[in-house]
Amino acid sequence: MAEKIYDVVIVGSGAAGGTLAAHLARSGADVCVVEGGPKVNTRTDFNTHSLPHEFPNRHIPTMKPGKPGFDSERSRGLGGKTMLWNAVAWRFSQRDFKGRSHDGAGEDWPLAYADMAPWYEKIEREVGVCGNLDGLEDLPDGVFLPPVPMKCSDLIVKRGAAKLGVKVIHVRKSTLTQARGPRPGCHFCGNCMAGCDVVAKYNSYDVHMVPALRTGKLTLQPDSVVREVMVDANNRATGVRYLNRVTKAEGEVKGKTVIIAAACVQSIALLMMSKSARYPTGLANSSGHLGKDFIPHFTGGVQCFLKDLIGKPATNDEGFLDHAYVPSFMHNRKRDYARSFGVQFNYQNRRATGWARDVAGFGASYKEAVKARFPAFLTFAPYGEMLPHAGTYVELDYEKKDAFGLPMAKRVLGWSDHDMTLFREMTRWSKEILEASGAEIFAVGEKPQTNHELGGARMGSDPKRSVVNAYCQTHDVPNLFVVDGSVFPSASEKNPTHTIMALAARTADHIAQRAKRGEL
Amino acid sequence: MLTENTPIEATQDRRENLKIIGAISATCAFPFSAGELYGQHEHPAAAAQAALPKPSFFTPAEVAQITRIADLIIPATDTPGALAAGVPAYIDYVCQRNEALAKTVREGLAALRGPADAATLEQLQAAKSPFFKAIKNLTADGYYTSKIGLLDDLGYKGNQVLAEFPSCTIPEH
Repeated sequence: MAEKIYDVVIVGSGAAGGTLAAHLARSGADVCVVEGGPKVNTRTDFNTHSLPHEFPNRHIPTMKPGKPGFDSERSRGLGGKTMLWNAVAWRFSQRDFKGRSHDGAGEDWPLAYADMAPWYEKIEREVGVCGNLDGLEDLPDGVFLPPVPMKCSDLIVKRGAAKLGVKVIHVRKSTLTQARGPRPGCHFCGNCMAGCDVVAKYNSYDVHMVPALRTGKLTLQPDSVVREVMVDANNRATGVRYLNRVTKAEGEVKGKTVIIAAACVQSIALLMMSKSARYPTGLANSSGHLGKDFIPHFTGGVQCFLKDLIGKPATNDEGFLDHAYVPSFMHNRKRDYARSFGVQFNYQNRRATGWARDVAGFGASYKEAVKARFPAFLTFAPYGEMLPHAGTYVELDYEKKDAFGLPMAKRVLGWSDHDMTLFREMTRWSKEILEASGAEIFAVGEKPQTNHELGGARMGSDPKRSVVNAYCQTHDVPNLFVVDGSVFPSASEKNPTHTIMALAARTADHIAQRAKRGEL
Repeated sequence: MLTENTPIEATQDRRENLKIIGAISATCAFPFSAGELYGQHEHPAAAAQAALPKPSFFTPAEVAQITRIADLIIPATDTPGALAAGVPAYIDYVCQRNEALAKTVREGLAALRGPADAATLEQLQAAKSPFFKAIKNLTADGYYTSKIGLLDDLGYKGNQVLAEFPSCTIPEH
């Protein structure tokens, strides 16, 4: 029997891989998804509804006993990080795609909001995104399910922020607020980031890949940690080489087109591990930009107690974590830094009581003080946009091998003066908004923390300065694509997943159209 | 009739939004089969607290000191305190697995030369003693992650199925 050659091999099964798989399979392509982790069942495998006291060390493990998965960056599970994400879904704005044109720093995307709008809408219709129509110039509206009411604490912050001319809006999430087909609306248990056992929250396995399996065109290959993209003498990608997650046995999956969608840093690492005589520093790296231009979001963080709620009875306000958001408001104000920041807040679980350590004193008065503050605790986390600079990049550490014997990816974070200026400003604004909301400030993050890894294989029209083009196709290898956060030339301050999914849908359509014309 | 890729204007009102929501359901690209129905869903009542082994890391004398201090930090009031919540066994369990923390606690206990009282803890707190910080953190962690601490004392009400999220009912909000 002849060896199977798929039309498309996709490495990774998260937001990008799952979306690509469903869209390409529906277009008629023969698709294989190669995922490092095992198949996981969101209904039964995660410790979704556990409380800390069920475990002697009071740490809730991600997986239930005996269920494999999510044990390393290279072996999460089918569905990838969408199994455990918080589902925030923003459209980027024209300002986000054209940051350099707007304020002279960083990079523009080689596409505009108008190119992306139809794909955002397609994803919103497919997966269901809740939100309010806010009519903001910098945060485009979409096709939304009804938003969830704000929490009491959100409304307190909203009134405080309004005193400073700052808006607070309903959060937008890829979480159903009403039943759709077999998926029920959210039931507000507050466990979004511990798996969603009813799939009210989007995950790429149940919402995208399971229905696509019915086309008969999609093959899922879990437990396969890809270590190399194979390229032939004609500079064509021919498939991938992997290690079995359990046995470590090597295998190959062949395809006419290869798409890397392994989540930013792991996609970069895979290209670097696929180096050859032709590409000595990494596959598709003739520009020398692979691993550079790494621009993860950075966050600050202020913890506080809202005085209005201190001493009030505890209520069940876990909800679906954060219900409100402070959209960017500095991008059109006078400031001495480029770009802007937005604030995610009030996403703490009430059951997470680590702050109690730092309430002063001991004895009955301490116990009373903790109890009084329990309903009033609030976390406020501004997210800022990093600009690409030489001090922040991704590389492979050949001295440090993981469980598969593969070099570990290393993130080098050098904070530029610009980053630190923005960090200080967003921390200052956070404190001002909270003080205007009548908050007792409890703890202030002193150093930036990263989240939402982006950049490192950036998109651009100049092959000398970028790794992929506007369709996520590598400049160097015509049948090799990279689709995930790594291609972002600028990061915005907005959570990236909705844009990653829209890019995946757009790229899938591009590949399907070109395949029809025989161009791939 | 909404077709695919109809532009949605920022000015649309709620009634139009609801029409669009109807269209989303109607145009759902992926029909599911009945066998995949989700949502037959009930949350179980809060599970029992995991049993902790009897303290075996610290000596009986040290355990007695730890027990006294945990009781001083979070005493029984109108709700049970650290002892009823099993905090000494939690501290023993954690220190057995954390060498640095165990050293801080053990040295601090030795320096006390006997049972602590509230005045001693006041002094240690005022002096920003790393031992006091360690034992307070352990006591707070052990208590507020316990079933008694989280559910009975703080009154945690989450992790339930709600048909809808309740709007705020405080008038001035």
